[in-house]
Amino acid sequence: MLVDLVRTLADVGTGLLAIGAGIAIGVGGGMSGIGEGNICSKGVEGIARNPEAEGKIRTGMILGCALDETTGIYSLLIAILIIFVLA
Amino acid sequence: MNEELLPSQQIFGLHGEIIISLVIVFIIFIFSLIIFIKLKKADPLAKPKGILHLAEIGVEAIDNLVKGQMGWRFKNMGGYFLAIALFIFLSFIFGLTGLPSPMSYYMVPFTMALFTFILIHFNRAKYRKWGYFHAFIEPFAPFLPINLLSMWAPIISLSFRMFCNSLAGWAIMSIIYSALQSVSASIFAFLPAGLNTIFIAPFVTSWLHLYFDLFSSVIQTLVFIMLSMIFIAQEGPGDEEPAAVKAQA
Repeated sequence: MLVDLVRTLADVGTGLLAIGAGIAIGVGGGMSGIGEGNICSKGVEGIARNPEAEGKIRTGMILGCALDETTGIYSLLIAILIIFVLA
Repeated sequence: MNEELLPSQQIFGLHGEIIISLVIVFIIFIFSLIIFIKLKKADPLAKPKGILHLAEIGVEAIDNLVKGQMGWRFKNMGGYFLAIALFIFLSFIFGLTGLPSPMSYYMVPFTMALFTFILIHFNRAKYRKWGYFHAFIEPFAPFLPINLLSMWAPIISLSFRMFCNSLAGWAIMSIIYSALQSVSASIFAFLPAGLNTIFIAPFVTSWLHLYFDLFSSVIQTLVFIMLSMIFIAQEGPGDEEPAAVKAQA
């Protein structure tokens, strides 16, 4: 039984890499989601207060969401690099 | 970068993405040539019809966008931004064919961001002449190292946005394609090995292509040109249009 446990633990390097990739995408995507939620909530609130400015508010909202998405995608790239290059 | 990470192979010494980007430039050239030939034969006082009408709508839209974002001093930059926007849009759309798009080879988006970098510094030198160096110690002198580092931030953020969107989209789509091929092979195992992988993937990945290729390309094009416009317009003096210039237009 101990031999089986050692055999499972011998792969701890790959396991740590997998945890690293998971944390990278989890934290990166989570923070990006929080930021985009804030952007959209303020945007919808602005449209509700002033429905005539809908075009400009929507343009600003999409620009802000794209900028926020960038950091989430940086972390996705790091996770993909960890999985495909290091392991 | 590791050679196996790049999506494409080398053909005659060039990567596949470089060849495809040259093909896209050629397509834009042929399109512009057709519009030019029709323009030469058209009557300037009559209403435009067909493709000339579309071309006029496009040019007017980009001119209004440039003039609204950048002010009156940069109002002739619409041509540059339309060319860049068409190239970036068609490069991203190419991912619909299933091949990796030209933006997944880092040199292509890096070159686009390098154009913006050169334009920023050229305009700063043009509008301030020797005051170009004073920009490094604004707003006060201890900001010098911060300004030296943030000089490179536009290149990296602009290029990485397009590169990572394209490469990550390609990687996710290739994982989903191979997963759905395995599912299809296990369901249709009674067919021979070449034929049993093609049944499930098209129904699912077409919706994903809609997000990764069409939606992403429109957003990335708009974000690139609007950020470039904002960065370049910051280097101008930002003054109001004098009445003499306004009267000429």
